[in-house]
Amino acid sequence: MAQIFSRQANLLTRLVLASLVLGLPLAFFIGGAYYRSGWRTGQDVIRAQPVPFSHRHHVGQLGIDCRYCHTSVETSAFAGLPSTDICMSCHSQLWTNAEMLAPVRQSMAGDKPIRWRRVHDLPDFVYFDHSIHVQKGVGCESCHGRIDQMPLTRQAESLLMHWCLDCHRQPERHLRPQEAIFTMGWTPPADQLAQGRRLAEAHRLDRNVMVNCSTCHR
Amino acid sequence: MPPIKPADLQKIGRQLANRHGKEYWRSLEALAEQPAFGAYLEQEFPRLAEIWNGPVDRRGFLKISAAAMALAGLAGCERQPPEYIVPYVRMPERLVPGKPLFYATTLSATGTGVGALVETHEGRPLRLSGNPAHPASLGALDVFNQAAILDLYDPDRAQTPLFGGEPAAYSRFEAEWRSRYTQLTRQRGRGLHVLTPPLHSPSLAAQLQALLAALPEARWYGHTPLERGGALAGARQAFGQPLEVRYMLERAVCIVSLEADFLGDMPGSLRYARDYSGSRGVHGKRQDSRLYVIESQVSITGAKADHRQPVPPSQLDPVARALAARLGLPVSPPVEQPVPDYWLAALARDLLTRQGQSVVIAGEQQTAAVHLLAHAMNARLGNLGRTIEYYQPPLPSPAQDLAELLAAIAAGEVETLLILGGNPVYDAPADLDLATALPQVPFAVYYGPYANETAAVCRWLVPAAHPLESWGDALAFDGSASPAQPVVQPIYGGIEPLRFLAELRGQLGAQPRQLVRDYWQSRYGDADFDAWWNGSLHDGVFAGMRASAVAAELRPDWNKALPPLPQRQGMELRFAPDPSLWDGSVANNAWLQELPRPLTKLVWGNAVLINPLDAAAAGIAQNQLVQLAHGTWSQQVPAQLQPGQPRGTVTLHLGGGRSAAGRVGNGIGVAAYRLRPAAQPWFTTVQLQPLPAEQQVITTQHHHRMQGREQQLARTTTLQELTAEAARAAEPQPSSSLYPEHRYNGYAWGMLIDIDACIGCNACVIACQSENNVPSVGPEQVRRGREMHWLRIDQYYKGGLEAPKVVFQPVPCMHCEKAPCEYVCPMHATTHSSEGVNEMTYNRCIGTRDCSQNCPYKVRRFNFLSYTGKDALTPAVIGTHNPDVTVRSRGVMEKCSYCIQRINRARMAAQKENRRIRDGEFTTACAEACPTRAIVFGDINDPAAEVSQLKSSRLNYAMLAELNTWPRTTYLPGVRNPNPEIARHEGQ
Repeated sequence: MAQIFSRQANLLTRLVLASLVLGLPLAFFIGGAYYRSGWRTGQDVIRAQPVPFSHRHHVGQLGIDCRYCHTSVETSAFAGLPSTDICMSCHSQLWTNAEMLAPVRQSMAGDKPIRWRRVHDLPDFVYFDHSIHVQKGVGCESCHGRIDQMPLTRQAESLLMHWCLDCHRQPERHLRPQEAIFTMGWTPPADQLAQGRRLAEAHRLDRNVMVNCSTCHR
Repeated sequence: MPPIKPADLQKIGRQLANRHGKEYWRSLEALAEQPAFGAYLEQEFPRLAEIWNGPVDRRGFLKISAAAMALAGLAGCERQPPEYIVPYVRMPERLVPGKPLFYATTLSATGTGVGALVETHEGRPLRLSGNPAHPASLGALDVFNQAAILDLYDPDRAQTPLFGGEPAAYSRFEAEWRSRYTQLTRQRGRGLHVLTPPLHSPSLAAQLQALLAALPEARWYGHTPLERGGALAGARQAFGQPLEVRYMLERAVCIVSLEADFLGDMPGSLRYARDYSGSRGVHGKRQDSRLYVIESQVSITGAKADHRQPVPPSQLDPVARALAARLGLPVSPPVEQPVPDYWLAALARDLLTRQGQSVVIAGEQQTAAVHLLAHAMNARLGNLGRTIEYYQPPLPSPAQDLAELLAAIAAGEVETLLILGGNPVYDAPADLDLATALPQVPFAVYYGPYANETAAVCRWLVPAAHPLESWGDALAFDGSASPAQPVVQPIYGGIEPLRFLAELRGQLGAQPRQLVRDYWQSRYGDADFDAWWNGSLHDGVFAGMRASAVAAELRPDWNKALPPLPQRQGMELRFAPDPSLWDGSVANNAWLQELPRPLTKLVWGNAVLINPLDAAAAGIAQNQLVQLAHGTWSQQVPAQLQPGQPRGTVTLHLGGGRSAAGRVGNGIGVAAYRLRPAAQPWFTTVQLQPLPAEQQVITTQHHHRMQGREQQLARTTTLQELTAEAARAAEPQPSSSLYPEHRYNGYAWGMLIDIDACIGCNACVIACQSENNVPSVGPEQVRRGREMHWLRIDQYYKGGLEAPKVVFQPVPCMHCEKAPCEYVCPMHATTHSSEGVNEMTYNRCIGTRDCSQNCPYKVRRFNFLSYTGKDALTPAVIGTHNPDVTVRSRGVMEKCSYCIQRINRARMAAQKENRRIRDGEFTTACAEACPTRAIVFGDINDPAAEVSQLKSSRLNYAMLAELNTWPRTTYLPGVRNPNPEIARHEGQ
């Protein structure tokens, strides 16, 4: 009786077995890398906006405070995007005919809000609150990066859950004094860990609460 | 589960007769010990198996599973859709994006004003709760007014004027009306007839009066399905003038209710419930207060009574006369009446020893004679001015009724008819046939929120704005006035009532805000008016605008007005407002349709309530169709065997059988109005004819049972036992467990529910539903045991079938210290927080349902299907979604979270000020809505907190403590205060 499988079948079998041993971890590795990459998290992706607003110009060069536009950052979960009349408080005097600002003028004239594309988009089951972070020693820069150097706004961090938890577990590595919350390019002191611990103490941070699931998910 | 049969009922009757002590039972089927019932209980979610009896075979099932697997995998790869941020063009003042704003307003879903707070997010009204500053609310809110938020977004509301059923522009109506009005003015209003429900808004009444004054020959008629003519007629007979009554229950320690459901459907019930529980000194602080109820139906007031006598409705009058005679009033006692003599004698003695501290309350639906007798008894007991006050009805009321309108239509006098609200075609008594009469009117205008049964037979429908879209004002049960303000522009283009009335008399473009402001300026005066007006709008109350009490003196010849005693003839049919649907006007509200009615636990439909013993005698089984006939009228209704229902009486709730309510309410239940005679609106004689057919009644009484352990879950005691056992120590708390120990350094949240204070009114259930985005699932899903309410009210009976004692027990998640659910979740989706809250993380849940299987309290709810989003039962729900709570999708387990979003909000507010959360700074939605404050929530780590104080009571107990779960939610038992004389007689 003739053989059912030819000699080449041995090679094929070995290749299949080897690819199972090597390929499965590789698949997991690639999957994991993709999961953390900017393709999925949106990190460093620049999204088209109705007006190419430059934080580098407004913050870095002109030195406008974050709170001038993001009015509710200290009081509400939502930091607030400027209403058109905040834009127009300057731009009714400056660059009044700039082509780039036409959507802003149209918004004001037509009473139609500007639709900005959200850059930092957390899943809907995550409840992040800006106000408690800026009042408890977390600087804007810690999550949003050097916004003063961004001509177009991008998401500076991955916003993955482990990235949140890194700080919720060890806030002392990132806490800064209250006067430096809105500062860009703040350099931590040499004794950051000691100072961070002092700040955490003063802010009465309860780490057990900070890692409860229900602190962010509800 | 097969329904219970008459033969079983006789067995149950015998069993219960031999039972003594504190044994509770939950349903007749359980008592009958049917094998099928045991099997029903075995299943965690009953009726799950039915799905497998469908047409899908094994192969088909595997194919679908494989496809579902593949699709589920792909669905997981879906990217988040792009999101946009749309800031304001001009930011409104005081609005902080992301933070709620609250406005005070006045609602009146049940006919009298109740103060409410509207929570709005970025201008979107989201939720209604009580206004603590309003006298009718004191922070609580009833189910109807809480659910009114759903109606605001209801897409079935009338969205445009209809002319003969076709959409038409409002300007066309205005043009038609203008020419008609010119002609009417020439005729001094002859031919104009106006039909309104009772008015409770002073400014609206003023507008109507102005219209009627401009057209003096116009005629005004009134109609309401909740007929309460007996109350005013009784006062007129007693005092010579129609007077409204205000009870001060906080001062009354002996309360007799002649079928007054003052905890349930009486105007002012929220306030009365608070005052009543205050007089009883709830939360273990006992006083010698006692409640007697004589009633012809089952009500929550009856369930809370220390002594209850069920009697047929025609017998209330004889019983009241017998009691009056025993109090020494000049009334000849009836020869026969159903209440035993020893009972009445003991009651009379109790009343006479507590003169000036007692009160006799006659129900709104009682005859003038019963009201007259109640006034006389209160005068005899020296209660006038002490526990009871009178005031003049503050608003005018129409002199003519619906029957007279029909006569005028028949005589051809009605050329123009304005129907300003209500729904008379649906809810008129059966002998007044409006559906054929109204089309004879050449120009009939219906002004109302829905294109309902009445709109269908009128020439014009003008859509009314929702109360949350309208300026206005309202009078509360005690005659105090409060403002109503809109929180949103009319969503569907409704017309505000004040604007409509002003435009009817030619004032085009009238501003409703200006109208109501001008009205109150004329009442208040010009000095400081602006400050007073702004303050009133802010507080939601018109300060100092309350009808003042008048001195009422009983006429010496009052007893001449008593009619001859009514005769009793056979089976009586009692009509009653539905505890969830009221008069049927809210039938399109899915929250209310799915709210288990107290005592019957019915949802999605009504049934004829009959005592099981009467049912056994008549050969009627549960769910059997019964033909109810009165003269030539008849209706086929399924039967519900209701323990405690008076013998010889069946009850049918109003509010069912709508044909033009909307997508949710159409065809649900049976219209009781088709059996209702105009002369006797609240009870009549009836013939019962069992039919050889069955229609399943949907009741949740069997759902989420705790494996036949109910005899010990809800506890009650008596005041006498408490005093006798005062020295008894508190129950030992469990202290050892094999499970890991948790330490709480910060807060430790806990809840206490006082069964004694709980009146079973369901306010907490709806409050939870609206706070936590709990979906409605529809009748078929509820029948399968899949209702999603996070908080349910369990209800147990004790004693025989004729007049069992009832106890209500609200059951939310217990947040166990050693939670059985936490250890079995393979995904770590349900975890223990550092503050003791049993958290549910929806995004981790994969729906194994192990947690629910392992929960002894059966408080977890599973999303078997997608009940939200585009699959929601009603699109209205999406508008009311709370942005602070995740909207759960299919395949996810959910349960009570102790309102974690409120805890987090309060914690952040406190953290920003570097302080601890103060006790009472916030509370859960259920505790906030509770009219009797039966639910107390707080930090049990703080020994000074109210919840810790109450939990330190020796009466505090945990449900199923023997399972060593250490629940965070604990209970105080119900305490009854039986009259020793009656107790001796009844051998208790």
